[in-house]
Amino acid sequence: MAAPTVTAPAAPVRPAPQNPTRDAYRWPARVFVLPGLLIVAVLLYLPFVWTSYLSLTEYNGLGDPEFVGLEKYQAMFADAGFATSLRNTLFWVLGTLVFPVGFGLLIAVLAHGIKGSFWYRVPFLLPYAISGVAVGVIWTFILQSGGALDEALMFLNLPGADLRWLLDAPLNTFVMIAAATWQGAGVNALLFGIGLQSIPKEPIEAARLDGASGWTLFRTMTWPMLTPLTTVVIGLSIVGSLKQFDIIWAMTKGGPGASSETLALTMYKETFVSNDYGFGAAVAVFLTVVTVAASVIYLRRQLADAKGA
Amino acid sequence: MKRKTLLVTGATASLAMILAACGGTDDGEGAGNEGGEDVTLGFYTDKAAWEPSFDAMNEESQKSGMTLDFTGYSDPTAFDSFIKQSFRTDSVPDLFTWHTGGQLADLVDQGLVAETTDLWAEAEANGSVPEGLIDNYTYDGKQYCVPLNVAYWPVYYNKAVFEEYDLEVPESWADLMEIAQTLVDNGEVPFHQMNIIFEFVWFQAMLAGNSPESYQGLQTGDASYTDPEVVEVMEQWKHMIDSGYFIDPGVTTDPQTLLANGDVAMAYFGTFFTGQLTDIDAKSGEDYGVFTMPNMNPDVENRQMILETGPLCVGVGSENEQAALDYSAWWMTDEAQTTWSSERGDVSFNPNADVADPELSALVEEVTGEGSNYTIQQRYLEANPLPVYTLSTEVFGDFVTNAPDPMPGLERLQAEAEAYWADQK
Repeated sequence: MAAPTVTAPAAPVRPAPQNPTRDAYRWPARVFVLPGLLIVAVLLYLPFVWTSYLSLTEYNGLGDPEFVGLEKYQAMFADAGFATSLRNTLFWVLGTLVFPVGFGLLIAVLAHGIKGSFWYRVPFLLPYAISGVAVGVIWTFILQSGGALDEALMFLNLPGADLRWLLDAPLNTFVMIAAATWQGAGVNALLFGIGLQSIPKEPIEAARLDGASGWTLFRTMTWPMLTPLTTVVIGLSIVGSLKQFDIIWAMTKGGPGASSETLALTMYKETFVSNDYGFGAAVAVFLTVVTVAASVIYLRRQLADAKGA
Repeated sequence: MKRKTLLVTGATASLAMILAACGGTDDGEGAGNEGGEDVTLGFYTDKAAWEPSFDAMNEESQKSGMTLDFTGYSDPTAFDSFIKQSFRTDSVPDLFTWHTGGQLADLVDQGLVAETTDLWAEAEANGSVPEGLIDNYTYDGKQYCVPLNVAYWPVYYNKAVFEEYDLEVPESWADLMEIAQTLVDNGEVPFHQMNIIFEFVWFQAMLAGNSPESYQGLQTGDASYTDPEVVEVMEQWKHMIDSGYFIDPGVTTDPQTLLANGDVAMAYFGTFFTGQLTDIDAKSGEDYGVFTMPNMNPDVENRQMILETGPLCVGVGSENEQAALDYSAWWMTDEAQTTWSSERGDVSFNPNADVADPELSALVEEVTGEGSNYTIQQRYLEANPLPVYTLSTEVFGDFVTNAPDPMPGLERLQAEAEAYWADQK
């Protein structure tokens, strides 16, 4: 048996730049990016660092903050209202995942392939153009005691007219999620519609030839191929629901009592209504950590799945 | 060479953008108006809806060479934050509205508002301010800010509803409860109540009328929220809610509309409510009247009247600080306050000012006139420490809505109060 020939490993060869012109412009390009980076740092990261510092202080917005260590975090976790906020925030995350995303998908799938499907989606898309506060005002008119919904239910002799939609917890949180669904389902339908249009026709046709149709076709072919878009929609939905503020503020201001508060509302109320900037900052830091962690965990998992596939 | 030019251009652009992003507004204008010339004062308030009244005041003050440049916020929370932040800039407001109680104390502690001791001394000498009002503006023996306005808290009632059921203005708490029961028996709603903003007002009215000492004691930490007098008030309140005396707090229609339409027969509000009723063309003395809240406890000797007052403050180091103090002095004069009272359709803090509305005029006479047997009490909101008041909005908001067992809420309030007062020692 011939001895194996030992050859010296080839020296790593630095690949020649494919585009010398691009390389020459790299540094100037970086300089031009600098303002953007600095603005992001000044407007985004510095405030976060400052907020993190404030969360370790006693501060009422006047004078100088007084360092108190982790006192505000201890107070935050010990506060009964914080548990309610956390519970409501969880309701919002689950609720907006199921309803605006679910309805968006349903609308997109039902409208897909129909001639002029864009126009079927338009009515659902319009509420997205309205600000959250305006949505809150509209839905308050509908849901307040003796409001439009109560009147309609009474007129139609249907049950529910005596329900206190905005006063009883957790019913008030659920109906506000319904309002958010009314606003957000359309944009999700639009995104899913784009996703459905980008699915190649061939595999779908092949599956049809194999006899798949309806729910089976959707479950085995369409849904897996929508994954990249679903990742984006669900990711945005998680982040949006964690920081939900405007609809709740317009409809209940977190009340009655603190029964419909979410973390974002607690942060605002503690900081600007109670003037306890340290407590508010602690909630803000907690909310940021939860939001970033949820986004990272979800996206990493989704991207890993996509790679694995 | 080209590359260098690009680098320099990029760096310059970066620097320019950073400066643009970080730069404040340096107006670089002259150092204010001195020597008696006409002056325009920057004025900031959370009472955006009052702009027409301030415009009318400008017509008067311009005769003395002073004009307010009005900036009105409609969101009080945003306004408070704006004022606080302005003290960190070189654009301190000349004049601004604020709150009495702990929130004014915070500004005084930081030396942010100009002292007005001399102005108060002069106003008291002229009889332009009533006795006791000065307490709302006194910190460590000195005065800060002047009163922008005052509001007494009476009960407004719909005259048509009262006439329909042959009801008379109540003289006692028992009368008031009898009226409420009569109205409920006839399918009417006796009282207005809110679960946001004014959720505390019935607690304030009943406790001041049940035990004035307890009402004041809560403000100083000398009384407890679990004292029998306080518990008694909460139980009475719960009884009234359970008996259907109050409107569903989930109704968000404006209270003035509810009262004018007879959807509620009575509404307990500050005298600013007259202006809101006027705005919807309800006529004072014809469509509605006012009476003072009877004491819940008949053994309390003096009638109790809640008074709220909002300050007009001068920012220390503002561009026109002295002129703003001059304006403050003018604001307290009889002629300024007569104009103000007429423009707002409200009472004035100045006893010499004419109050045009006959209902309010009679109220002021009853409360402050010769032989009055009223004790003036500060409104709960301003009178109590901010952390306690903030928690109370939660506790009372829940109570107004659900009328639960009051004890857990009272215990929470007491715990918050004890923590606050422990910090003050």
